[in-house]
Amino acid sequence: MGNGSDYYSNGKETLKVRIFAVIIFTLALVIFYSIYLYSIQVVKGSEHRERAVSVARRESVIPALRGIIYDRNYDVPLVTNVDSFAVDIIPAELDFERFDEIAGKLANILGIRKEDILSRISPRMRHQHRPVEIKDRIEFETILVLAENIDRFPGVVWRSKPKRAHYGPGSLSHILGYIGNISREELQVLFNRGGFTPNSEIGKMGIEREYDHILRGRDGLRYNTVDARGRKIGDARGNEAVLPIAGKNLVLTIDRRIQELSEKALGERIGTVVVMRPSTGEILAMVSYPWFYPNKLYSSAASQYFSSVSADTRFPFLNRNIQSSYSPGSVFKFITSVIIIEEELFPQRERIVCRGRIHVGDRFFHCHKRTGHGSLDLARAFAESCNIYYWTVGREHIGIDRIADFSRRFGLGQRTGIDIPGEVRGLVPTPEWKLSTFNIPWVGGDTLNISIGEGFLETTPLQLANAISMVVNEGVNYVPRLVKEIRDPVSGKVIESFEPRALNKASIRGETFRRTQEIMRYAVTHGTPRVVLTTRATQVAGKTGTSEVGLADRWISWFGAYAPYQTDNPDEQVVVVVMVEATNDWEWWAPKASNVIFQGIFANQTFEQAVAALNVWYLRP
Amino acid sequence: MSGTLGHNPGESKVNVKTNLNFDFLILISVISLVFIGVCFIYSSNITSDGTILSNEYTKQIVWALIGLVLMAAIIMFDYKTFETFAIYIYLVSIVLLVITLLFGNVVNGSRRWLGIMEFGIQPSEFAKITTIILLGAFYAKNSNAMTRITTLLKGFLIILFPVVLIVLQPDMGTALVYFPIFLVMSFTAGAKVRHVMYIALVGILTMVLIVIPVWFRHIYSGSEAVINFFVDSRFYYIILISGLAIMAISLFAYFFTKKGFYYYYFTYFSSIIVISTIGAIIGKMVLKSYQIMRLVIFLDPNIDPRGAGWHFIQSITAVGSGGIFGKGFLNGTQSNLRFLPQQSTDFIFSIIAEEIGFMGCLLVFFLFLIIIVRGYMIAIAAKDLFGTNLASGISTMILFHFMVNIGMTIGIMPITGIPLFFISYGGSSLWTAMIGVALLINVYYRRYRFSLNA
Repeated sequence: MGNGSDYYSNGKETLKVRIFAVIIFTLALVIFYSIYLYSIQVVKGSEHRERAVSVARRESVIPALRGIIYDRNYDVPLVTNVDSFAVDIIPAELDFERFDEIAGKLANILGIRKEDILSRISPRMRHQHRPVEIKDRIEFETILVLAENIDRFPGVVWRSKPKRAHYGPGSLSHILGYIGNISREELQVLFNRGGFTPNSEIGKMGIEREYDHILRGRDGLRYNTVDARGRKIGDARGNEAVLPIAGKNLVLTIDRRIQELSEKALGERIGTVVVMRPSTGEILAMVSYPWFYPNKLYSSAASQYFSSVSADTRFPFLNRNIQSSYSPGSVFKFITSVIIIEEELFPQRERIVCRGRIHVGDRFFHCHKRTGHGSLDLARAFAESCNIYYWTVGREHIGIDRIADFSRRFGLGQRTGIDIPGEVRGLVPTPEWKLSTFNIPWVGGDTLNISIGEGFLETTPLQLANAISMVVNEGVNYVPRLVKEIRDPVSGKVIESFEPRALNKASIRGETFRRTQEIMRYAVTHGTPRVVLTTRATQVAGKTGTSEVGLADRWISWFGAYAPYQTDNPDEQVVVVVMVEATNDWEWWAPKASNVIFQGIFANQTFEQAVAALNVWYLRP
Repeated sequence: MSGTLGHNPGESKVNVKTNLNFDFLILISVISLVFIGVCFIYSSNITSDGTILSNEYTKQIVWALIGLVLMAAIIMFDYKTFETFAIYIYLVSIVLLVITLLFGNVVNGSRRWLGIMEFGIQPSEFAKITTIILLGAFYAKNSNAMTRITTLLKGFLIILFPVVLIVLQPDMGTALVYFPIFLVMSFTAGAKVRHVMYIALVGILTMVLIVIPVWFRHIYSGSEAVINFFVDSRFYYIILISGLAIMAISLFAYFFTKKGFYYYYFTYFSSIIVISTIGAIIGKMVLKSYQIMRLVIFLDPNIDPRGAGWHFIQSITAVGSGGIFGKGFLNGTQSNLRFLPQQSTDFIFSIIAEEIGFMGCLLVFFLFLIIIVRGYMIAIAAKDLFGTNLASGISTMILFHFMVNIGMTIGIMPITGIPLFFISYGGSSLWTAMIGVALLINVYYRRYRFSLNA
């Protein structure tokens, strides 16, 4: 027992004291742990219990079916939902060590770049059970391929995600618009309204955007008790659901027959057609060429298509009817004429001699007919679209203030309030505006220009159509509308239908408007467009326009008209405004297209039937 | 030592007492804890809808039974046998650690397992016992030189071999256990307090210095200037150079001035700073950033709730939701729904806390307290210094595992992957704990110098 003698070398007492110190430390530790445990289990217990429940309960979104959009006939849908799939990744189930390899294979199957997958999932999400969408609008065939190999893709799941599908005339794209994934900024703005998540889709344009809150419905929620791997626990308590509310259906004022007719009448020319019902403000057709294909934005190649359309210098996303403004040219003369008649500043019968040019300030202004129209009164000048007449009367008798005032009474220079977003104001220039914008005083030449609808004056085709509506309605026009009624998706009952709402009420005598209607009819029967407006289906009244844009031999071709000229039933009247941009080869197309449109509308014919019925030289192949 | 009969009149009485005082209390506590362990391993194996995901609990039962046999076998031998063969047992465990390092099975990125097929052992667990045995024997042999720093350094060398081999696996948590064992064993074996303190302070300061930049970067929310100072990589070198300067001046003053006493402590503390800083610089190189993050995250798990903080938040939620009496056995939502990571091993206490509540936890604490405190009492009662050292080392091992594991599940200690002895699933750790307790019983059983059983 060699150590025996050393046993107490430090003193048994020292040993005891030291070990007791350690025992006291042990006791202190256990007491501290007990108190700490008491504080988290008993004192803060309820807080942790709540949290435990929320961690175990997980909600998943049941998407609401988006509303269907019909044209005014409420028979065949223009936009509906079709089956499609989305592929999600649940980060918590992902094998992050092999993620790069898995992402590569998955990208191959889905036909996207590997980086698109990698950039959406970060290792920080490795405990996240909320699925992250990798790609949507996937064809069934692709899902089949994925399903066959699903054991190679842990954490990859798919679900049905209906996509929008457009039917009907392609030119409806601007009106209907399209939907897309919500952007971070949009989410920030809309978040408080509720029902939006980072995975939401939202209308980006047109009706889809303006009526998003009606079309989208309300997503449902399914609460599941899940385990940590995100697996649902079958019969666990607390599985419940808030059912989704389907979006409501919309019935448009658009008549797809007229839309198609207008689309074909315009053809592949950059320009617009708007057909509206003056008595209510309903838009029957609205074409803006070029348009785009929303279905391609819902295809798997959406992003390529989007960039190619965005890069197109003809701006196919632009709805030229409301989103760009132009000089109305000679069409504007109907407003100048209204001023002349209403204010009685210059007798309608009094004649002015047109010699082809006029000298104002230090330069000559030429009439479009260089040889001169000779001597003409108002009706003749309107029909011949003589610039000299309007210049003279405009400068010497009317003045800029009256022109600006009346233009505004007709609704120019202000938004019409049509129910799709993005509308521009146009411009009614005044001397103050010019001074403050260019720091150049108003001169006589400016008044000359505006008298014939040139110069700084700018209107959208829709504004012009609505201004003509005021002449037709003899003193009032209405807010243009695209949506006729909202219908319940299940019962089909009308939930809300939109009554006409007056936009401008001009204090101009009815007699003035009737006289204006007469000269507009006279212009068609005896004026410039008589050779091309051959339709016998109705009596058209209108005005052509040819506005300069600075190109040598190209002009914007306008035709603003309505038909029938006179009627006992205002609801059968339509206003048609056609605009063909100067970028096209000059062919004076606007009145020719209008001819077909009026023929088609009033003879109830398709484009082909109308062309055959009219049998005019410019429509022969 | 040979027992001689009839040495004094009380001898026969002593023999009877020896047999009666077989430490049943500690054995009952162990069996209770193992039983609780099996129950909650079962709870973690089963989902709320009754599907059994794993049969860990049956394996644990088998291991527990084998463990009891092992315990009986160890109690048969006089613990002095282990003292005699201490160095050989130690060498065998070192060789096993080397083999593990070279040929071990890789689990979760580190080589900890040695074995064929699915039967494997973790030599790093058993090495704790063999190291305690050798250290105990060494200190017993040098008991009259315990106040010397050289004895302490030699003792440190004994733990250094297994520590280095385990760090290389890498398994930081297990390696960490050796330091408190060493410190407490040295302390109870009679080393100078300031020597023990010195080593303890170096260890603590090294850890603090390693985590300081991370703490300032992620948790501290004060002035930018302060953060920049501590996050800057030159931070260590500034401290190192300052420490070296103070140490040089103090050393100079210690040897060449008359007020040596003050300068002794100047040197003492400045050298702690220097060594810790060097340790921290090395630690920074060896440790991966996520490992350092784990050391800090318990201070504020919310800085990375889905990453390093996940375990903490889930575990504290589970523990906290237990309340006074718990949700009932098998009714825990966090565990049965598998929110808890490594629930049958490192985080088993969370399930216990969730399902049997505060009262159940107190029971577990109480059982551990019996084993640990009895262990230290046995250290006092032991008949020789080896017995004292052995009991002290084993009790400290169990205490430290208890402290770190439970501290981790309730969110006041970093996650180190140290299992809760007797309860956590795993054969190696269960056997290590049971062997340890068997040794305690052994020391207690033979606590009288003269007895028939000796």
